[in-house]
Amino acid sequence: MIGEELVQLLTPEGERVANPNYESTLSGEEIFGLYRDMVIIRRLCNESTSLQRQGQLALWAPIQGQEAAQIGAGRALAPMDFTFPTYREHGIAWCRGVPPEDMLRLFRATSNGGWDPQKYRHSVPTIVLGNQVLNAVGYAMGVQRDGAEEAVMTFFGDGASSQGDVLEAFVWASSFNTPVVFFCQNNQWGISTPMSIQSKIPLYHRAQGFGFPGVRVDGNDVLAVYEVSRRALESARVGGGPTLIEAYTYRLGAHTTSDDPTRYRIDAEVEVWKHRDPIERVKSLLVREYHVKAAKFDEVKEEADAKALQLREDVLAMDRPDPITMFDHAYAAPHPLIDEGRREMVELGVSGGSH
Amino acid sequence: MSEEIFLLPDVGEGLVEAEIVTWKVNVGDTVTLNQPLVDIETAKATVELPSPYEGTVVALHGKVGDVMEVHKPLITFNVGGTASAPPTTTAAPVEGATSVGEGREAVLVGYGVANEDGVATRKHRRQGAHAPASSAPAAPPPPPPAPSVVASAPSALAPRSTPPVRLYAKQHGVDISTLAGTGRDGLITRVDVERALSGTPASAAPVVRSSAPITGPLSPSHFVGRDIESWSTGPKEERIPVKGVLRAMSEAMVQSAFSAPHAAVWVRLDATKTVELLASLKQQASLKDVRLSPLSIVALALCDAARHYPGINSSFDATTSEVVVRRSVNLGIAADTPRGLIVPNIKGADELGLVEMTQALNVLVEKARNGTTTPNEMIGTTLTITNVGPFGVDAAMPILPPGTGAILAIGQIAKAPWVVNDEVVVRHAVEIAMAFDHRQIDGALASRVLGHVASFLADPAAKIIAP
Amino acid sequence: MATTTMTMAKALNEGLRRALEKNKKVLIMGEDVGKLGGVFRITDGLQKDFGEDRVIDAPLAESAIVGTAVGLAIRGYRTVCEIQFDGFVYPAFDQIVSQVAKLHKRSDGVYTMGLVIRIPFQGGIGAIEHHSESPEAYFAATAGLRVVSCSTPNDAYWMIQQSIEHDDPIIFCEPKSRYWEKGEVDTENPPAGLFDAAVRREGTDVTVIGYGASLKTILRAADTAAVEGTSLEVLDARSIAPLDLAPMVTSLEKTGRLVVVQEAPHMASIGSELVAELTERCFYSLRAPGVRVSGYHVPYPPTRLEEDYRPTVDRILDAVDRVMGFES
Repeated sequence: MIGEELVQLLTPEGERVANPNYESTLSGEEIFGLYRDMVIIRRLCNESTSLQRQGQLALWAPIQGQEAAQIGAGRALAPMDFTFPTYREHGIAWCRGVPPEDMLRLFRATSNGGWDPQKYRHSVPTIVLGNQVLNAVGYAMGVQRDGAEEAVMTFFGDGASSQGDVLEAFVWASSFNTPVVFFCQNNQWGISTPMSIQSKIPLYHRAQGFGFPGVRVDGNDVLAVYEVSRRALESARVGGGPTLIEAYTYRLGAHTTSDDPTRYRIDAEVEVWKHRDPIERVKSLLVREYHVKAAKFDEVKEEADAKALQLREDVLAMDRPDPITMFDHAYAAPHPLIDEGRREMVELGVSGGSH
Repeated sequence: MSEEIFLLPDVGEGLVEAEIVTWKVNVGDTVTLNQPLVDIETAKATVELPSPYEGTVVALHGKVGDVMEVHKPLITFNVGGTASAPPTTTAAPVEGATSVGEGREAVLVGYGVANEDGVATRKHRRQGAHAPASSAPAAPPPPPPAPSVVASAPSALAPRSTPPVRLYAKQHGVDISTLAGTGRDGLITRVDVERALSGTPASAAPVVRSSAPITGPLSPSHFVGRDIESWSTGPKEERIPVKGVLRAMSEAMVQSAFSAPHAAVWVRLDATKTVELLASLKQQASLKDVRLSPLSIVALALCDAARHYPGINSSFDATTSEVVVRRSVNLGIAADTPRGLIVPNIKGADELGLVEMTQALNVLVEKARNGTTTPNEMIGTTLTITNVGPFGVDAAMPILPPGTGAILAIGQIAKAPWVVNDEVVVRHAVEIAMAFDHRQIDGALASRVLGHVASFLADPAAKIIAP
Repeated sequence: MATTTMTMAKALNEGLRRALEKNKKVLIMGEDVGKLGGVFRITDGLQKDFGEDRVIDAPLAESAIVGTAVGLAIRGYRTVCEIQFDGFVYPAFDQIVSQVAKLHKRSDGVYTMGLVIRIPFQGGIGAIEHHSESPEAYFAATAGLRVVSCSTPNDAYWMIQQSIEHDDPIIFCEPKSRYWEKGEVDTENPPAGLFDAAVRREGTDVTVIGYGASLKTILRAADTAAVEGTSLEVLDARSIAPLDLAPMVTSLEKTGRLVVVQEAPHMASIGSELVAELTERCFYSLRAPGVRVSGYHVPYPPTRLEEDYRPTVDRILDAVDRVMGFES
C-alpha cells in the first residue's frame, strides 16, 4: 500500500523513505516543533480524560493516535485559511491558537461553542456528522465571490463519509470548483462500526468518482501529512479546486469516554497500531538525524505537564454560567419570547439579575 | 492539610453502581495527581480511575468485590493543600460549584439525568408578586339592593367575566353585559349575577350607586367601660348614663383641662398603596370624570374605623350627663374658604362608596368655596377630617368642633425613605394625627381607631373590597 | 405614490430584484432558479441581469442548498435559498435546525445567520403528493428561527426585502395557490414591520386569525357572515414566529370570540399556540373558547379531495356559529 496508495515519508521506526510524488521540506527545527505540538496535545488530551473520569467533564473525545494527522494538517494551514472541525479536532484547534481551556467548554457543558471562530479562523465545533462539510463548501463559495486567496479545510471521519451532507458537499465542491480541502481522518472505526462497512473502496478513491483529486497519506506520519496538506491547500488557494485527503490512522482510544472499545475490537489490533505511534517515530528521527539530546525532550515533557496542570486549574475554575445567559444570542434581533423568558427568570429569582 | 473524600463519579455508562475489581493503592500510600487508584467494573467494562488529588490515602471505603454506589465515598485522602486539588466534592452542592455530577444518574453521553425525586420544596419564588387581594366578602350576604343600571354608554369592550359565571348567567337568563362588576378591576362575579337574579327594587335614594352596600362588623365593640352594640345592629342613637368609672374619668378630665380635654395620637405610615390605587383608578375610563384624591380614601378610612369602633363617633353631653354614640357619620371636612375656616359635613358619609364619597367631597368643597354651603350642611358633624397636606404640613393637633368626639388631621403625602424587608426604599409617606375628647374617649380607643385608619391607608384596595 | 397592480409572483420577483440591487452580497440559490427562472417564475430574469455567481442554479440537494448558505452566511453573504416545494424541505431540516437555528448562539453572536429560506407552501393547486404541505409549525417550534408568511402581493413585495435585510434566519412561507392573484403594490411605502400582524377587516363579533392562503377564504366567509348578521374582524398574522399578539389581544378584548384558520392539522399547530396564548391573555374577555379550523390529521389527501381537506367558507362559518352560540 505504501507509495502511490499511501504517501509516507517517515516509517514507524523513524526512518525517512522516499515517495514518488512528495518530499519533506521541513527543517530540523520545524520537525522538533511538530514533535512538541504532538506531545503537548497528547498530554492535554490525557489530562482531559482524567478530568472526565474525575467527574469534571461530562464527556471527552480523545485523539490518541491521531496526533500526527491533526498537527501535520494544522501546521500546513496559512493564517488566513478557515477551518471547519468536528468535535474532535483538538490538534487543529491547538494549531489555530485556540486556548486549550476553550476547547473544553463544550465538554464541561458550560457552552455549546467555546471560542470566537472569527478570531481564530476556526469554526465552532459541529456534533451533527457532516453538517460542517457542507458549511465549509458554502464558505469556500464565499471566498470565490470575494476573490480572496484563502483555502478552506474541513474535517470529518470515516463514519461521517457515509453521510449525505458529505457526499453532497463533494458534488458542490466539484461542480463549483471551490477552494476547499476535505480532510478525512480514517481512524478505522465509527464507534463500533469498522471501516469495511463504511466503504467498499478506499475512501480517497471516492474523490475521483466526484471529479476531483484524492490522496491517501499515512496519518501517523506527520511529515507526510504536512506535505500532502500543504500542496492541497496551495492548490485550493490558487483556484485548483477541491482535494480529498484521507489520513489513514487509528483511534487508539475509545470513541469517547462513554465508549468501551473492548466490546468490539481485539487487543491485538490495537497493539499493531501502537507500534505505529506518530510521536515515537518522530522522536527516533530527531535523535538519529538531528542528535537531539534527552534534556530537550525532557523540557518538552515538562512544558506539556505544566500546561496540563494549567488546563486542570482552568477547568476546575469553570463555573456554571448564570442561567440568564441562555437567552443571549439566541436571536440577533430583539424577540418577545426572549424578553418574556428573561423576565420570568428574573422574577423567579433564579438569575443573578440583569444581563 | 485537609481531608478530602473522593466520591465514585459516574463515568458515563448509565451506571448507578460499580464493582471494585482491583485496588492499585493502599491505606497510607502517597499518591500523585492522576495516579491510577482503582479499576472498577461497570456493566461489563472495566474503567481505571485516576487520582484527583495529591496526598495520602487515609481510607478505602470498599474492598475488592464490593459494589459501590455512584456519588458515594470511594476513597478518603489527606491532601497537602496544593493548588491542583479540586474543590471538595463532599461539601453541600453550591450553585456554580464544580461538583458537576451531583444529584444525577449517569447516562451514556453526559453528566447524566438529574434526579428529580424528592425535590419537593420550592426553590424560588416570583419576586414582587403581590398577595392576591381577598375578594370574598367577609360578612354574611347583605340584603341585596337593586341591580345597578349602568348609567354610562355601553362599553366598547366585551363584558369581563369568567367562563363559569357566564355559564351561570346564561343558564339563568341574565344578560351580563347589563351588569356592572364588583370583582377585581370590574370583573363581573357570580355574586353580581345572583344579585341581579334576586332583583330587589332600588331604594328611594336618588344617588346612583355603582358599588356594593357597605356594612361594618357585627361583633360588639367596647366603649366607656362596657360592650356596646355593633354598628349594624345597634340603634342609630344610643344614650349611655354617665356613671361609675365613666363619670369618674370624665370628671377627672374636666378637672384637669377645659370643658373638652384634648388629647392626641399620631402615626407616620407608608401610603404608597393609596397613591398607587388612585393612580390606577384614574386610568379607568369609567372614572375619568371623577376627581379622585387621597382625601376620598381618608374619608372612607375614617368611616370604616367608625364602623369598627362606634365609640369614636360619639359626643359628651354634659347637660344630660350622657355620652351619645351615633351610628351614622356626618363627616365634617375642615374647609379653608375666603371667609375663613368652616366645617361643613357630608350626611351619612359612612354609607358612601368611593365614587359617591369623592363626588360628595367635591361638591362640598365647591360649595364652600362659592359660599353656597347650606345651614343644614353646617350642623350635626360627628367626625371631622382636616387636611393640612395641601399646605405642605406634616401634621396638626386640631381642635375638636364642639359636640364631636374626634378629629383627624392628615398631612402631606411625600416620598421618603422607608424600611422594607430591612432595606431602605423610597415610599410615599404621610403623617396622620387624631385629637379626641378625653372625657369619653381614651387613648387606647383613639390609638386603635388611628391604627385602623392607618391600616386602611396602607392597603386601601384590600379594605374597600373586603371590609 | 407609486402603486401598481401585480401578481404575488411578480411582486416577489420585484422584491428580490430590489434586494439584489441594494446589496451586492445578496445571493439567490435553488434548483432551477437561474435559467428557468424558477418553477413558479419567481426568479424570472434575475440570473440574466445579476449573473450566475449571484443567482445560482443548485445541484439537486436541499441539504446542500441550506448547508452551503450557512457557510456563505459566515462569510457575510445573505443567501435567499429556494426550496422548490414544501414537501422537499425535509432533507434540509437537519441543516436548518442543527446549524441555521443554532450557530448564532453557538458562536456567542459572532456568526450572523442572515439567510432566508423561501418555501412555497399550503395546497390548493391540484398537485400530486408532497406539493401541498404546511410545515410551518416545525420551524416555529425551533428557537433561533423566525417564520413569516405573506398573503397579498404588497406584503410579498415588502416582506421578502425586509426578510433579506434581517439578521436572523427567516423561513419565508409563500402561499403558492395565491401566486397568480393580483393586488395593489405600493413600491415606496412598506405597509408594516416584518413581524407585525395586520387587521384585514374590522368587525365586532368574532376575531378570526389566519395566514397565507387562508386569508382569502376567511375574507369571503366574512362577507357571507355579514349578510347573515355577524360581524367578523379578520387578522392576518403575517408573522408566525414570533406572533404579534398585541393587536390580536385588542381585537379579542373587543369581540370576546376567537377562531383560528389554518391548512395544517390542528395537533401542535400554530392555531394551538394562538389559542393558548390568547386565552391566557384575554381570559376575562372570552365569551367562548378559541376554536381552530384546520386540515384533518391525515397525510395531505390526493388533491382531487383537497377542497374537503382545506378549511372552506362553510367550515369557517360553522366555527363562527359555534363561538357565537356559547354566549351568555
